Amino acid sequence: MTNILIQTIIGGIGIGSLYALVALGTTMIYRSMGLINFAHGSIYMVGTYLGIIWYRGMVLGLQVPFPLAFIIGIILNAIFGFFLERVFRPLADVDLRNMLLGTIGLGYILDNLMIILFGAEGFAVTSPLPTKAIVVAGIKIMPQNIMFIVVAAILVIALQIFLSKSKFGKAMRASAMDREIARTMGIPVNTMNAITFAIGAGLAAAAGILAAPIVYVNPAMGAAVGQKGFASAVLGGLGNIPGAIVGGLLFGVFEAISAGFISSAYTKGIAFIVLLVILMFKPSGILGEKMVEKV
Amino acid sequence: MFLDLENLTMKFGGLTAVDKISINVKQGEIHGLIGPNGSGKTTIFNMLSGYYKPTSGKIMFEGKDMTGMPAYKITAAGFARTFQNLRLFKSMTVLDNLMVAMGHKATAKVYEVMINPIAARKEDDVFTEKAMKILELLDIRKFANNQATSLPYGHQRRVEIGRALASEPKILLLDEPAAGLNDVETEELSEILEKIHASGITIFLVEHHMKLVMKSCGMITVIDYGKKIAEGDCNCIQNDPVVIEAYLGKEEDLVSR
Amino acid sequence: MSNKRKIVKTVIFVLGAIFLLFLPFITKSQYQIHIVNMCGIYILLSLGLNIAMGYTGQFNLAMGPLWGIGGYTAGILNTKFGLPFWVNLPIAILLAGLVGAFVGLPSLKVRAHYLSIVTIGLGEMLNLILVNEEKLTGGVLGILGITAPKFLGIPIDSDGKYYYIILTFVVLGYLLARQIVANRVGRSFRAIRDDPLTAQAMGVNIGNYKILAFFISAAYAGAAGALYAHLNTYISPDIFDYRSTMFIMTMTMVGGIGSLSGSIIGGILLPILQEYLRAIQSWQLVGYGLIILLVVLFVPGGIIQIVQRKAPNHKITLHRRHKSTHAAKKSEENDVLGS
Repeated sequence: MTNILIQTIIGGIGIGSLYALVALGTTMIYRSMGLINFAHGSIYMVGTYLGIIWYRGMVLGLQVPFPLAFIIGIILNAIFGFFLERVFRPLADVDLRNMLLGTIGLGYILDNLMIILFGAEGFAVTSPLPTKAIVVAGIKIMPQNIMFIVVAAILVIALQIFLSKSKFGKAMRASAMDREIARTMGIPVNTMNAITFAIGAGLAAAAGILAAPIVYVNPAMGAAVGQKGFASAVLGGLGNIPGAIVGGLLFGVFEAISAGFISSAYTKGIAFIVLLVILMFKPSGILGEKMVEKV
Repeated sequence: MFLDLENLTMKFGGLTAVDKISINVKQGEIHGLIGPNGSGKTTIFNMLSGYYKPTSGKIMFEGKDMTGMPAYKITAAGFARTFQNLRLFKSMTVLDNLMVAMGHKATAKVYEVMINPIAARKEDDVFTEKAMKILELLDIRKFANNQATSLPYGHQRRVEIGRALASEPKILLLDEPAAGLNDVETEELSEILEKIHASGITIFLVEHHMKLVMKSCGMITVIDYGKKIAEGDCNCIQNDPVVIEAYLGKEEDLVSR
Repeated sequence: MSNKRKIVKTVIFVLGAIFLLFLPFITKSQYQIHIVNMCGIYILLSLGLNIAMGYTGQFNLAMGPLWGIGGYTAGILNTKFGLPFWVNLPIAILLAGLVGAFVGLPSLKVRAHYLSIVTIGLGEMLNLILVNEEKLTGGVLGILGITAPKFLGIPIDSDGKYYYIILTFVVLGYLLARQIVANRVGRSFRAIRDDPLTAQAMGVNIGNYKILAFFISAAYAGAAGALYAHLNTYISPDIFDYRSTMFIMTMTMVGGIGSLSGSIIGGILLPILQEYLRAIQSWQLVGYGLIILLVVLFVPGGIIQIVQRKAPNHKITLHRRHKSTHAAKKSEENDVLGS
């Protein structure tokens, strides 16, 4: 019994790592721009396509190995995100209801463009890893879970180093703490926001490309993940970077446990109810909310 | 025993904003609370209106313990307040702003008001009449149907006071009502305070404008760094060396403006 | 108002009433009158959402699933217990309202932006119940064979006849909504939207009113659900989901959030627009998205803003627009009073 519990939790941490990557993008964008982006799921979906098309040989027939396709997808989506920020920028200062609806509208446009380019029908993706479980001390672990956890951890550590050590990173943190002061220090706030958006898009692409072998890749794949990513960010505390990681991992574990032990049909609903219960005790999220001083 | 703050303390993490302050406000008086910036005046008001739960200490009103009560219950008990930074309801007219504050004294049931247009109309007529009287008192009656935030600043201040009066309070907490007013407007404000005072409502007033405080207040409490440093009538305070030190030490704007 | 304007208004009103009364005879096909009926149902949904989100500022993003609660209540009562439309309707309204009140409980603790995802999640849960509790709801296949209502013994078995039922309820729903937002209840709602902390200081019990707002919006959804179930005689879970919630939100905001007339405009325009956009198939979502962006960026008050030539005077944001003293800032950070 405990073995199954541990397996379930590991599976949850695996998926949770992907949620964490999506939640990080959501949270960073909120932190620096005050923007709640209901189109992040669509950005995740676009990023998945941008990586997977290379792996599937859909671009000029080139068969690109998975790790390389992964990196290309992240970079392409990051560039896409950098320019996309310009489009989202005006939505950061409007009434909250308009912000939600506006970002949803942009999401529709992105979804539609992908449908036009790739069709509404999706495709399955073969896994780059063996699909047989590894057994360690009587516990079955799926290889992709290890991939999810390890790759996500590497990305998070890289992000952390970037934010704390590099000049860019420090400027971004300043800009996210207080816009007005950052401006007077000569930091180009809009560029910082664009880079933040790019990072968010890149992380989302990473999550999507990693997940591609176990989901069905299609233009509608972003909706559920977008919701869960946002829920994860909220769970940990919107705008709170460690919070996004904690939230993502926890949300994944809630899902796994409810799928494994309670009811697989109600999995999504139960995870949200647990989120709700936690918020009733900590209305700002587990680690607390953080947002830029806009003035 | 009207309003008693007993050893009221407010700590935010490591910072002690208000430190064991005891103040006694007598019924029917105009009581001033002054002190340099950051001395804890607004924090005290926020505790009185139920936004903060005091870290320790008690708030007793008419013999009842009000400490930690939720805001709307405090209003029901007879408190009303205005805010340092005007907080009028942006989407509403002056009249509507006042009528919101009357809701808690309404007698008709909520579902009645929703289903029965006649009952609703009756209630609104009563409210409107009362509100108009208050606006008359404050000399802004002709603006009743204007968007509250479209009025000049001085008039918006009056709307805020009117709204607080509309809740039929026993005690009125005014948080820097003279802020942003010129000399003429401040003079008009002191007349308004006198009118309110004459109607029997107790006033507890936080202010920086010394002339107004000295003119209007019967009793003044001075605080600094969250502690009470002096208390007495205006002559007492004006000549109290501790008070002068607190203000000089902060290079604050002094007694005469 | 000058006499001339009064006469013009009266004439328009009379013409409009005549138009509405004879609409089923003017439309050219069953399909067209069916669209009109659906518009009526959407108007009710939009009125409900407007009361919660437009007037009280509360994100009730479970509207699609709450609509389903109403529809399934009617459907189950009808097919399993043989109860007629006129009995099912009030029960659906009440039940949906109560479920809606539950959905609204988080609003007491959780701020607007968090409330959005919480109500979406609760809505998902409701939808999952409709999908999974097969014995009760028929699962993904739904419920078939819901009987048409009878009025004074006449079976209302065509869209044309059903139109008059829907018209009646839309008119009643609109008048009730006008009543709700016009007086003490409406003022309290708007005070909560404008400034919840100050509303509390003015004696408004914001907790009770928030739950009331959710109840009312869900009750409208319940009515819309019962009307929908008996109109189509068939219901399934897939229309009662997040996408419908988004559709209702879109029509409310395009029409005019915070304005009941906006709900009517949006409730008529968007379903008709949706039919047209279906025709251009592959660019449907882009068309949608562009309309949304145009409204959000240029006419945030919706079409009613153009009609009334007045910009909206209510805005929900999460931040204060000015630097405040340390104490006040602390109060914002420790804001456990909800929003």
